[in-house]
Amino acid sequence: MIEHLFDAFAYPPIQRAAIACILCGASCSLLSVFVVLMKMPLIGVSMSHAAFAGAVMGMLLEINPALSGFIMCLLAAGVLGPLSDRTEMTPENVLGIMFSFFIGVAFLGLGILTRTKANALNLMWGSLLSLAGWDVAVLAFVTLFLLFFVLLFFKEIRLVLFSRRLATASGVPARAIYYALLFLTGAVVSSNLATVGGLLIFALLVQPGATALQLTYNLKHFFLISVASGVGACVSGLVVSYIFDLPSGAAVVLMATIIFGAAYIFSPKRGAAKLKKGSTYHEDDGR
Amino acid sequence: MLPGVASVDLSMERVCGEEPGTDAYPREKTRIKQFGMYGSVMSRYVIELEGVTVRKGGRTLLKRISFGVPQGECVGIIGPNGAGKTTLLNVIAGFERFAGKLSLFGRRESWKLNRRTRLRIGYVPQRFQVDPAFPILAFEAVVAGSIGRLGLFRSPGRQEKERAMQLMEMMRMAHCADRPLGHLSGGERQKALLARAIMQEPDVLLLDEPTANLDIAVQKEFMDLISEIYSRQGLTILLVTHDFNMLPASLRRAVLLNHGETIFDGDVDRAMSGEILSRLFQYPLETFDRNGKRFVSYD
Repeated sequence: MIEHLFDAFAYPPIQRAAIACILCGASCSLLSVFVVLMKMPLIGVSMSHAAFAGAVMGMLLEINPALSGFIMCLLAAGVLGPLSDRTEMTPENVLGIMFSFFIGVAFLGLGILTRTKANALNLMWGSLLSLAGWDVAVLAFVTLFLLFFVLLFFKEIRLVLFSRRLATASGVPARAIYYALLFLTGAVVSSNLATVGGLLIFALLVQPGATALQLTYNLKHFFLISVASGVGACVSGLVVSYIFDLPSGAAVVLMATIIFGAAYIFSPKRGAAKLKKGSTYHEDDGR
Repeated sequence: MLPGVASVDLSMERVCGEEPGTDAYPREKTRIKQFGMYGSVMSRYVIELEGVTVRKGGRTLLKRISFGVPQGECVGIIGPNGAGKTTLLNVIAGFERFAGKLSLFGRRESWKLNRRTRLRIGYVPQRFQVDPAFPILAFEAVVAGSIGRLGLFRSPGRQEKERAMQLMEMMRMAHCADRPLGHLSGGERQKALLARAIMQEPDVLLLDEPTANLDIAVQKEFMDLISEIYSRQGLTILLVTHDFNMLPASLRRAVLLNHGETIFDGDVDRAMSGEILSRLFQYPLETFDRNGKRFVSYD
């Protein structure tokens, strides 16, 4: 079985799938740090539905659905920040409204569309084995850009994730960093839709960050653990799906969940929390 | 309304008019204008507000607030809940849109402060909550105060880290340096945030009810720290509070706010009168002296 696995890597579609899988794991898990620490888990699913709505609209207007989906994703990211800042609504509420709006737009478009809807629906499911070289190139560019952004603005990102208000008070361009993170979320989600699809990307945007949250108080380690668990889930999920002939997306998500479960069980933070709870003074202790 | 309370006019003219000899800003400014010296004298104020009004959700949170703070003064912004104290501090900190004029360090500012101005203002928020799992250590949170001053492409070096540790030692919390910020007690966390603000090397320090929800001993320790910082560094300090019994010793001037309006601006000892405080809080309060210090009591 293992020999068959190595043989399979001789085929270009499998090679592209493997590279895309690693890039998808890396980009989603880098982004997962922001999603988890800013407590915005809905952002992934909202962005993916924005891309879905964009793709449907693109088909209606006879534009490349992938391109229109990408543009709609960036527009959604561009609206989210200013809308939550100006209306005093929490970003989560804005995301909830955007999510339902994009579903409405997508279903409206699907209702009107008379041609085949397969191109639009592919964005929700993804298809690793039918990736074109162009899809992988875009994904590689977005992943490298995100990595470069994190390395260049690490100290500012740390402060913005900690508190936008304190970052602003410290003279850090918090709004620009925050909006850039939202745009990067749009770019990462839309460039990964062809790989894992809009529904499964939600898991990869939350679980690696949630895994790292169980294991460290150091933000550098946080990024590394998140990327390791995201890439690990993608690669191991792909291998398991090949060996046991399972759907690859489902296998990736289940592996990510298993990794999170292990991190939760062996989390040193849980031990610290128990210790803290155990040291609480009770009135009865004085008797 | 409580009997015997708030039946007296609380307008600024009335209360300030009762304060001869204080350096209350509105009276002084009026006098300067009469002598045609307005422009040249304005620069002595590092913070100056003229007719600042904040409206939000159909409500007026601040109504034509005007006052000035000279360099090196420690001022208390005092009033009951909902008086507009935090809104006023947010205007000065650049977090709140407003109508009117705000000048900081002699420069007219819009609600989004100029970056250089912002770097000169340290800010300590009230009741700051941190997720216990958030990956930031107390020491890192203090060092983060230097980030804005360093600029985009420079990281804190040995000098900044040594200074951060010195500040933590001064705050008597060096032992907390390697602990996650979210694991610190409320008092330790507030001290870390104060150290972070000082790390910024500000000229003005804004403190928004920094001792809210802290026990009495920690409140006292925190206020003593503020006095120590004030005497060592000569900062201009604006402290928002509603607790008259826990004012730092360095605080000499009080601006009393109620319903978004200034009702008193002058010497803190004069503000500490049962009559003024009863009107301010709409509750019968008395003051008494003990060990040379004035305290407020209630039934």
